Amino acid sequence: MPSDSDLAVKVEDLWIRYRTSYEANQTLKGAVLKLGKRSERSKKSVRVVEAVKDVSFDVHNGTVLGIVGANGAGKSTLMRAVAGILPPTEGRITVNGRVSTLLALGVGFNAMLSGRENIMLGCLAAGLDMEEIQQKYDEITEFADLGDFIDLPMRTYSSGMYGRLAFAVSVHMDPDILLIDEALSAGDAAFKEKSFAKMRELCDQARTILIVSHALGTIQELCTDAIWMHKGELVRQGTPEQITEDYLRFLKVGESALTMEDV
Amino acid sequence: MTTAASARRSEFESSIQVFEPHRASLPPVRPYLREFWRRRRFAYELSRTTQKAANFDSPIGSVWLVLNPLLLAFVYFLLIEVISGGAKKQAGWSSFLHIVIGLFTWTLVASCMSVGATSVTAGGKLILNQSFPRALLPFSSVISSLMNYWPTIPVYLVMYGLGLVFLPHVPPGQGSKGLVGPTWALLWHPVLVALLVITGYGLAMIFSTMTVYFRDTTKFLSYVLRIWLYLSPVLYPVSAMVEKYDKVWPPLGKIMIYGNPLGPVLGVMNDIWVEGVSPSPALLAGAMLWAAFLLLFGGWFFVSRERDFAVRL
Repeated sequence: MPSDSDLAVKVEDLWIRYRTSYEANQTLKGAVLKLGKRSERSKKSVRVVEAVKDVSFDVHNGTVLGIVGANGAGKSTLMRAVAGILPPTEGRITVNGRVSTLLALGVGFNAMLSGRENIMLGCLAAGLDMEEIQQKYDEITEFADLGDFIDLPMRTYSSGMYGRLAFAVSVHMDPDILLIDEALSAGDAAFKEKSFAKMRELCDQARTILIVSHALGTIQELCTDAIWMHKGELVRQGTPEQITEDYLRFLKVGESALTMEDV
Repeated sequence: MTTAASARRSEFESSIQVFEPHRASLPPVRPYLREFWRRRRFAYELSRTTQKAANFDSPIGSVWLVLNPLLLAFVYFLLIEVISGGAKKQAGWSSFLHIVIGLFTWTLVASCMSVGATSVTAGGKLILNQSFPRALLPFSSVISSLMNYWPTIPVYLVMYGLGLVFLPHVPPGQGSKGLVGPTWALLWHPVLVALLVITGYGLAMIFSTMTVYFRDTTKFLSYVLRIWLYLSPVLYPVSAMVEKYDKVWPPLGKIMIYGNPLGPVLGVMNDIWVEGVSPSPALLAGAMLWAAFLLLFGGWFFVSRERDFAVRL
């Protein structure tokens, strides 16, 4: 093995499959009704989705890795797996350092609670103690710059404010590895500039960032490395310029393959 | 493999983490417990803020904590004393008090189960976005249940005090005939509450896991709890239950008490509050065994499956 010491994330032969049933929720009632006819019906209503297929890549410390791909390419699933939320079906992920996530679903926020309470809960779940949270708190609120809204229930927030708070929390967790999924589009131009600056600052401290984005401009501007995924497979790894160029060409040429997926 | 094994031991730690496939197996127990303990404050704050959010629309909010069990006790009082026609005036009021303390106790475990059952499915967003020991979620429900339980104790003490003023007393051990005055046996109360909470946590972990796989569990649970209440020594004392079932088939009474995970612990609660005597050793042993068993079994059942939750939500 070459020196793994400067590797932040190592993904080896990763497969993630999950079973999904056609009914929205699996219910005991449904299961009881189906008991007699297990062989016929249950097979039809369960489908195995292969979200990530045999993906391997390494991410070195200090890298900003952009992940591009059409909808349904398995990008978010891959991010969740790296965060340790979804277990791999096969293969192995080795993560060296503290991971902080900024995932599309909104960082576990309870909309009835104020921004302040949500920050506290998010930090506590991440394993920080009250003292650390007190220290971080001012930095987070200052960065998110929400004014009075910080003490109002989060259901009163606009989606931009939501995204700003989520971003502020995740970058201030002192992450060694930051995972960002589609969240940069939330803020306005000024906040975008601020968040780019913050991410560059994290990179300079040799932190590692993984970004999933459809904004190819963002990928080119921020990333030092990029991968392109399609239908669960890793198509190519390379420089951001090269990957975005290839991906754009694929979008134009391979339209027939993608029209189904509402890009 | 040795490097993988040593790295796996440090799961949840801030250094190297390895995520590998698993098959309904336990994660390393010690780091799990350490991380659980480190984040205990999270469980408390989650309970506190969820409570706050739940009371957001209710003008009298937390008054319901006391009002709920009181109204419930009143309904059962009507059911048992008035409709069944067994109103022997004074015994009627003392048995009302017995029903009230029985129901207050029952509400603690029942709420551990019912709130706990939804804890994982309700925490969906948190589970999908953060990696932390999931057993904190049902633990948080148990904290909520305990927080709701405390205010009912002073309420009962006031009622009990009034009962002592207006109702004739009977000596300890004859609770079925009237009201027994306070005795030193009440000092057992914190110990028994601890047993109840441990039992409730075990059951909460079992039901919350079942809810992840079968969402209808919560709907069945409300009926299960109602039936469970009637099969437990809550509305009537252990001795009356044993007598009743033994008429059908002699050992049935004991089976009904000791085979019920909540039977012994509710029985000893009855001992100290209604009969004014120290917990019967057999019941106390039964309560401790059930608490230990449910905590270990529930913990295993939950923790060995918790890494699957994110896929199921």
